[in-house]
Amino acid sequence: MTVEEQIREIVARITHVDKNIITRESTFKEIKADSLDIVQALVAVEEAFEIEIPDEEAQKFQNFGDFVSYVESRVAQGEKV
Amino acid sequence: MSLEGRLALVTGGGRGIGRAIALKLASQGADIIVNFFRHREKAEQTAKDIEALGVKAEAIRANVGEPAKIDEMFDMIGNKFGRLDILINNAASGVGRPAMDVDVKAWEWTMDINARACLLCAQRAAKLMEGRGGKIVSISSLGSPFVLPNYAIVGVSKAALEALTRYLAIELAPQGICVNAVAASAVETEALKFYFKEGLVKDKRQVTPAGRMVIPGDVANVVAFLCSEEAFMIRGQTVVVDGGTSVGLFTLVGKESE
Repeated sequence: MTVEEQIREIVARITHVDKNIITRESTFKEIKADSLDIVQALVAVEEAFEIEIPDEEAQKFQNFGDFVSYVESRVAQGEKV
Repeated sequence: MSLEGRLALVTGGGRGIGRAIALKLASQGADIIVNFFRHREKAEQTAKDIEALGVKAEAIRANVGEPAKIDEMFDMIGNKFGRLDILINNAASGVGRPAMDVDVKAWEWTMDINARACLLCAQRAAKLMEGRGGKIVSISSLGSPFVLPNYAIVGVSKAALEALTRYLAIELAPQGICVNAVAASAVETEALKFYFKEGLVKDKRQVTPAGRMVIPGDVANVVAFLCSEEAFMIRGQTVVVDGGTSVGLFTLVGKESE
Protein backbone atom coordinates (compact mmCIF):
# COMPACT_ATOMS: atom_id res chain seq x y z
CA MET A 1 0.00 0.00 0.00
CA THR A 2 1.38 3.45 -0.90
CA VAL A 3 1.81 6.28 1.59
CA GLU A 4 -1.16 8.04 -0.03
CA GLU A 5 -3.40 4.99 0.29
CA GLN A 6 -2.46 4.51 3.92
CA ILE A 7 -3.18 8.14 4.77
CA ARG A 8 -6.44 8.00 2.83
CA GLU A 9 -7.55 5.00 4.91
CA ILE A 10 -6.61 6.75 8.15
CA VAL A 11 -8.44 9.96 7.24
CA ALA A 12 -11.51 8.05 6.01
CA ARG A 13 -11.64 6.03 9.25
CA ILE A 14 -11.43 9.14 11.41
CA THR A 15 -13.88 11.30 9.44
CA HIS A 16 -16.26 8.44 8.57
CA VAL A 17 -16.29 9.33 4.89
CA ASP A 18 -15.95 6.98 1.93
CA LYS A 19 -12.22 6.84 1.13
CA ASN A 20 -13.01 6.84 -2.58
CA ILE A 21 -14.26 10.43 -2.43
CA ILE A 22 -10.96 11.68 -0.96
CA THR A 23 -8.72 13.05 -3.71
CA ARG A 24 -5.46 14.96 -3.44
CA GLU A 25 -7.44 18.12 -4.17
CA SER A 26 -10.01 17.51 -1.40
CA THR A 27 -9.93 20.19 1.28
CA PHE A 28 -10.43 19.18 4.90
CA LYS A 29 -13.74 21.02 4.82
CA GLU A 30 -14.88 18.92 1.87
CA ILE A 31 -13.92 15.77 3.76
CA LYS A 32 -15.92 17.21 6.69
CA ALA A 33 -12.86 17.05 8.93
CA ASP A 34 -13.12 19.36 11.96
CA SER A 35 -10.14 20.50 14.05
CA LEU A 36 -10.31 17.39 16.25
CA ASP A 37 -10.42 15.10 13.20
CA ILE A 38 -7.32 16.81 11.86
CA VAL A 39 -5.44 16.40 15.15
CA GLN A 40 -6.47 12.74 15.36
CA ALA A 41 -5.41 12.17 11.74
CA LEU A 42 -2.03 13.80 12.44
CA VAL A 43 -1.54 11.60 15.50
CA ALA A 44 -2.54 8.43 13.63
CA VAL A 45 -0.26 9.25 10.70
CA GLU A 46 2.61 10.12 13.05
CA GLU A 47 2.26 6.74 14.69
CA ALA A 48 1.80 4.81 11.44
CA PHE A 49 4.91 6.30 9.82
CA GLU A 50 6.91 6.91 13.00
CA ILE A 51 7.39 10.57 12.18
CA GLU A 52 6.47 13.79 13.94
CA ILE A 53 4.58 16.53 12.14
CA PRO A 54 5.10 19.97 13.71
CA ASP A 55 1.95 22.08 14.06
CA GLU A 56 3.65 24.81 12.03
CA GLU A 57 3.87 22.39 9.07
CA ALA A 58 0.39 20.96 9.56
CA GLN A 59 -1.10 24.45 9.51
CA LYS A 60 0.19 24.88 5.95
CA PHE A 61 -1.81 21.93 4.61
CA GLN A 62 -4.52 23.33 2.34
CA ASN A 63 -5.82 19.97 1.18
CA PHE A 64 -5.35 16.21 1.45
CA GLY A 65 -2.62 16.33 -1.22
CA ASP A 66 -0.50 18.73 0.85
CA PHE A 67 -0.77 16.35 3.81
CA VAL A 68 0.25 13.36 1.67
CA SER A 69 3.13 15.21 -0.01
CA TYR A 70 4.54 16.27 3.34
CA VAL A 71 4.43 12.73 4.72
CA GLU A 72 5.88 11.31 1.49
CA SER A 73 8.81 13.71 1.73
CA ARG A 74 9.41 12.81 5.37
CA VAL A 75 9.23 9.09 4.66
CA ALA A 76 11.63 9.51 1.72
CA GLN A 77 14.06 11.41 3.95
CA GLY A 78 13.89 8.57 6.47
CA GLU A 79 14.75 6.01 3.79
CA LYS A 80 17.86 7.94 2.84
CA VAL A 81 19.17 7.98 6.39
CA MET B 1 11.81 25.04 49.86
CA SER B 2 14.17 22.40 48.51
CA LEU B 3 13.21 19.48 46.33
CA GLU B 4 16.74 18.14 46.10
CA GLY B 5 16.87 14.45 45.29
CA ARG B 6 13.20 14.29 44.34
CA LEU B 7 12.04 12.88 41.02
CA ALA B 8 9.11 14.63 39.33
CA LEU B 9 7.05 13.71 36.29
CA VAL B 10 5.38 16.64 34.53
CA THR B 11 2.87 15.55 31.89
CA GLY B 12 2.77 17.96 28.98
CA GLY B 13 5.96 19.39 30.41
CA GLY B 14 7.59 20.56 27.20
CA ARG B 15 5.89 23.90 26.78
CA GLY B 16 3.60 26.47 28.31
CA ILE B 17 2.55 25.98 31.92
CA GLY B 18 4.10 22.50 32.05
CA ARG B 19 7.49 23.82 31.00
CA ALA B 20 7.33 26.56 33.63
CA ILE B 21 6.45 24.00 36.30
CA ALA B 22 9.22 21.65 35.17
CA LEU B 23 11.79 24.46 35.29
CA LYS B 24 10.56 25.69 38.66
CA LEU B 25 10.75 22.25 40.27
CA ALA B 26 14.19 21.75 38.69
CA SER B 27 15.35 25.11 40.07
CA GLN B 28 14.55 23.71 43.51
CA GLY B 29 16.65 20.63 42.93
CA ALA B 30 14.24 18.03 41.55
CA ASP B 31 15.17 15.75 38.67
CA ILE B 32 12.48 15.99 36.01
CA ILE B 33 10.82 13.63 33.56
CA VAL B 34 9.27 15.77 30.84
CA ASN B 35 6.36 13.98 29.23
CA PHE B 36 5.30 15.20 25.80
CA PHE B 37 3.12 13.96 23.00
CA ARG B 38 3.39 15.94 19.76
CA HIS B 39 6.13 18.49 20.36
CA ARG B 40 9.42 16.62 20.74
CA GLU B 41 11.69 19.56 19.95
CA LYS B 42 10.14 21.73 22.63
CA ALA B 43 10.30 18.91 25.18
CA GLU B 44 13.94 18.21 24.38
CA GLN B 45 14.73 21.92 24.66
CA THR B 46 13.00 22.02 28.03
CA ALA B 47 15.01 18.98 29.14
CA LYS B 48 18.22 20.75 28.08
CA ASP B 49 17.21 23.91 29.93
CA ILE B 50 16.51 21.79 33.03
CA GLU B 51 19.90 20.09 32.82
CA ALA B 52 21.52 23.54 32.62
CA LEU B 53 20.16 24.06 36.15
CA GLY B 54 22.32 21.18 37.35
CA VAL B 55 19.73 18.44 37.70
CA LYS B 56 18.81 15.47 35.53
CA ALA B 57 16.09 15.58 32.90
CA GLU B 58 14.57 13.17 30.46
CA ALA B 59 11.90 13.67 27.79
CA ILE B 60 9.43 10.82 27.33
CA ARG B 61 6.81 10.67 24.57
CA ALA B 62 3.40 9.34 25.56
CA ASN B 63 -0.16 10.25 24.68
CA VAL B 64 -1.79 10.30 28.11
CA GLY B 65 -5.16 9.97 26.39
CA GLU B 66 -4.30 6.30 25.82
CA PRO B 67 -4.14 4.05 28.89
CA ALA B 68 -1.62 1.72 27.23
CA LYS B 69 0.75 4.63 26.64
CA ILE B 70 0.43 5.72 30.27
CA ASP B 71 1.33 2.18 31.31
CA GLU B 72 4.35 2.15 29.00
CA MET B 73 5.53 5.47 30.41
CA PHE B 74 5.22 4.33 34.03
CA ASP B 75 6.78 0.94 33.24
CA MET B 76 9.76 2.82 31.90
CA ILE B 77 9.91 5.10 34.96
CA GLY B 78 9.57 2.10 37.26
CA ASN B 79 12.28 0.12 35.49
CA LYS B 80 14.70 2.99 35.19
CA PHE B 81 14.19 4.86 38.46
CA GLY B 82 12.12 2.55 40.65
CA ARG B 83 10.43 5.53 42.31
CA LEU B 84 8.60 8.81 41.81
CA ASP B 85 8.16 11.65 44.29
CA ILE B 86 6.06 14.18 42.41
CA LEU B 87 3.41 13.84 39.71
CA ILE B 88 2.15 16.94 37.94
CA ASN B 89 -0.95 16.23 35.85
CA ASN B 90 -0.64 19.11 33.43
CA ALA B 91 -1.23 17.66 29.95
CA ALA B 92 -4.52 18.90 28.53
CA SER B 93 -6.41 19.19 25.31
CA GLY B 94 -9.88 20.17 24.30
CA VAL B 95 -12.35 21.12 21.65
CA GLY B 96 -13.82 24.62 21.79
CA ARG B 97 -17.55 24.22 21.33
CA PRO B 98 -20.79 25.09 23.09
CA ALA B 99 -22.24 22.18 25.08
CA MET B 100 -25.02 21.70 22.56
CA ASP B 101 -22.46 21.04 19.80
CA VAL B 102 -20.38 18.53 21.72
CA ASP B 103 -20.33 15.08 20.12
CA VAL B 104 -19.16 11.79 21.56
CA LYS B 105 -15.76 11.98 19.90
CA ALA B 106 -14.98 15.45 21.23
CA TRP B 107 -16.24 14.47 24.70
CA GLU B 108 -14.13 11.33 24.86
CA TRP B 109 -11.00 13.01 23.49
CA THR B 110 -11.18 15.79 26.06
CA MET B 111 -12.23 13.68 29.03
CA ASP B 112 -9.65 10.99 28.28
CA ILE B 113 -6.77 13.46 28.28
CA ASN B 114 -7.92 15.97 30.89
CA ALA B 115 -9.62 13.74 33.45
CA ARG B 116 -9.08 10.01 32.93
CA ALA B 117 -5.33 10.45 32.47
CA CYS B 118 -5.14 12.15 35.88
CA LEU B 119 -6.69 9.09 37.49
CA LEU B 120 -4.57 6.56 35.63
CA CYS B 121 -1.34 8.50 36.17
CA ALA B 122 -2.14 8.93 39.88
CA GLN B 123 -2.84 5.20 40.25
CA ARG B 124 0.51 4.29 38.73
CA ALA B 125 2.38 7.13 40.46
CA ALA B 126 1.03 6.18 43.88
CA LYS B 127 2.61 2.73 43.52
CA LEU B 128 5.98 4.33 42.80
CA MET B 129 5.51 6.59 45.85
CA GLU B 130 4.78 3.65 48.17
CA GLY B 131 6.69 3.84 51.42
CA ARG B 132 8.13 7.27 50.63
CA GLY B 133 5.11 9.57 50.31
CA GLY B 134 4.71 12.01 47.49
CA LYS B 135 2.90 14.93 45.92
CA ILE B 136 0.33 14.97 43.17
CA VAL B 137 -0.74 18.31 41.72
CA SER B 138 -3.17 18.59 38.80
CA ILE B 139 -3.75 21.67 36.70
CA SER B 140 -7.33 22.87 36.43
CA SER B 141 -8.93 26.05 35.15
CA LEU B 142 -11.68 28.52 35.98
CA GLY B 143 -13.80 26.74 33.39
CA SER B 144 -14.73 24.29 36.14
CA PRO B 145 -16.57 26.61 38.58
CA PHE B 146 -17.49 29.21 35.94
CA VAL B 147 -19.00 29.20 32.48
CA LEU B 148 -16.59 30.30 29.77
CA PRO B 149 -17.64 30.67 26.13
CA ASN B 150 -17.25 27.50 24.03
CA TYR B 151 -15.48 25.81 26.91
CA ALA B 152 -18.13 23.28 27.96
CA ILE B 153 -16.26 19.98 27.64
CA VAL B 154 -12.99 21.35 28.93
CA GLY B 155 -14.80 22.91 31.88
CA VAL B 156 -16.54 19.63 32.66
CA SER B 157 -13.26 17.71 32.37
CA LYS B 158 -11.64 20.14 34.81
CA ALA B 159 -14.57 19.73 37.23
CA ALA B 160 -13.93 15.97 37.09
CA LEU B 161 -10.24 16.59 37.73
CA GLU B 162 -11.02 18.72 40.78
CA ALA B 163 -13.46 16.16 42.22
CA LEU B 164 -10.90 13.42 41.60
CA THR B 165 -8.33 15.55 43.43
CA ARG B 166 -10.55 15.54 46.53
CA TYR B 167 -11.12 11.78 46.43
CA LEU B 168 -7.46 10.98 45.83
CA ALA B 169 -6.41 13.36 48.60
CA ILE B 170 -8.40 11.36 51.12
CA GLU B 171 -7.68 7.91 49.73
CA LEU B 172 -3.93 8.51 49.43
CA ALA B 173 -3.51 10.46 52.68
CA PRO B 174 -2.61 7.31 54.69
CA GLN B 175 0.28 6.75 52.27
CA GLY B 176 1.64 10.23 52.92
CA ILE B 177 0.69 11.45 49.48
CA CYS B 178 -0.58 15.04 49.26
CA VAL B 179 -2.99 15.64 46.39
CA ASN B 180 -4.09 19.10 45.27
CA ALA B 181 -4.96 21.09 42.17
CA VAL B 182 -4.17 24.56 40.86
CA ALA B 183 -6.72 26.40 38.75
CA ALA B 184 -5.60 29.31 36.64
CA SER B 185 -7.56 31.82 34.65
CA ALA B 186 -6.40 32.46 31.08
CA VAL B 187 -2.63 32.08 31.10
CA GLU B 188 -0.40 33.67 28.47
CA THR B 189 0.74 30.56 26.56
CA GLU B 190 0.75 29.25 23.01
CA ALA B 191 -2.46 27.37 23.75
CA LEU B 192 -4.10 30.70 24.59
CA LYS B 193 -3.17 32.09 21.19
CA PHE B 194 -5.37 29.36 19.75
CA TYR B 195 -8.25 30.39 21.98
CA PHE B 196 -7.82 34.03 20.99
CA LYS B 197 -7.82 32.99 17.34
CA GLU B 198 -11.02 31.04 17.85
CA GLY B 199 -12.59 34.03 19.59
CA LEU B 200 -12.93 32.14 22.88
CA VAL B 201 -10.91 34.61 24.92
CA LYS B 202 -10.78 38.39 24.67
CA ASP B 203 -8.04 40.53 26.17
CA LYS B 204 -8.14 39.54 29.84
CA ARG B 205 -5.72 42.24 30.99
CA GLN B 206 -8.70 44.57 31.21
CA VAL B 207 -10.57 42.34 33.64
CA THR B 208 -7.78 41.16 35.95
CA PRO B 209 -7.67 43.14 39.21
CA ALA B 210 -3.95 42.35 39.57
CA GLY B 211 -3.40 44.39 36.40
CA ARG B 212 -1.85 41.79 34.16
CA MET B 213 -2.59 38.38 32.81
CA VAL B 214 -1.50 35.26 34.62
CA ILE B 215 1.81 33.95 33.29
CA PRO B 216 3.00 30.32 33.47
CA GLY B 217 5.46 31.22 36.24
CA ASP B 218 2.58 32.30 38.49
CA VAL B 219 1.09 28.81 38.26
CA ALA B 220 4.50 27.16 38.64
CA ASN B 221 5.18 29.07 41.88
CA VAL B 222 2.01 27.71 43.49
CA VAL B 223 2.62 24.19 42.19
CA ALA B 224 6.15 24.27 43.65
CA PHE B 225 4.76 25.37 47.01
CA LEU B 226 2.22 22.53 46.98
CA CYS B 227 5.11 20.14 46.27
CA SER B 228 7.00 21.38 49.32
CA GLU B 229 6.78 20.08 52.88
CA GLU B 230 5.45 23.49 53.95
CA ALA B 231 2.19 22.58 52.18
CA PHE B 232 1.88 19.22 53.98
CA MET B 233 -1.48 20.08 55.59
CA ILE B 234 -3.13 21.26 52.38
CA ARG B 235 -5.13 18.35 50.97
CA GLY B 236 -7.69 18.01 48.22
CA GLN B 237 -7.81 21.73 47.50
CA THR B 238 -7.96 23.62 44.25
CA VAL B 239 -5.89 26.79 44.63
CA VAL B 240 -7.00 29.55 42.28
CA VAL B 241 -4.36 31.66 40.51
CA ASP B 242 -6.23 34.35 38.62
CA GLY B 243 -5.06 37.76 39.82
CA GLY B 244 -8.40 38.21 41.58
CA THR B 245 -10.58 37.82 38.51
CA SER B 246 -13.00 35.28 39.97
CA VAL B 247 -13.65 36.99 43.31
CA GLY B 248 -13.83 40.44 41.72
CA LEU B 249 -16.28 39.61 38.95
CA PHE B 250 -18.99 42.03 40.06
CA THR B 251 -16.56 44.91 40.47
CA LEU B 252 -15.50 44.47 36.86
CA VAL B 253 -18.92 44.70 35.22
CA GLY B 254 -18.69 47.18 32.36
CA LYS B 255 -14.90 47.44 32.47
CA GLU B 256 -14.45 45.17 29.47
CA SER B 257 -16.11 47.74 27.23
CA GLU B 258 -14.07 50.68 28.59
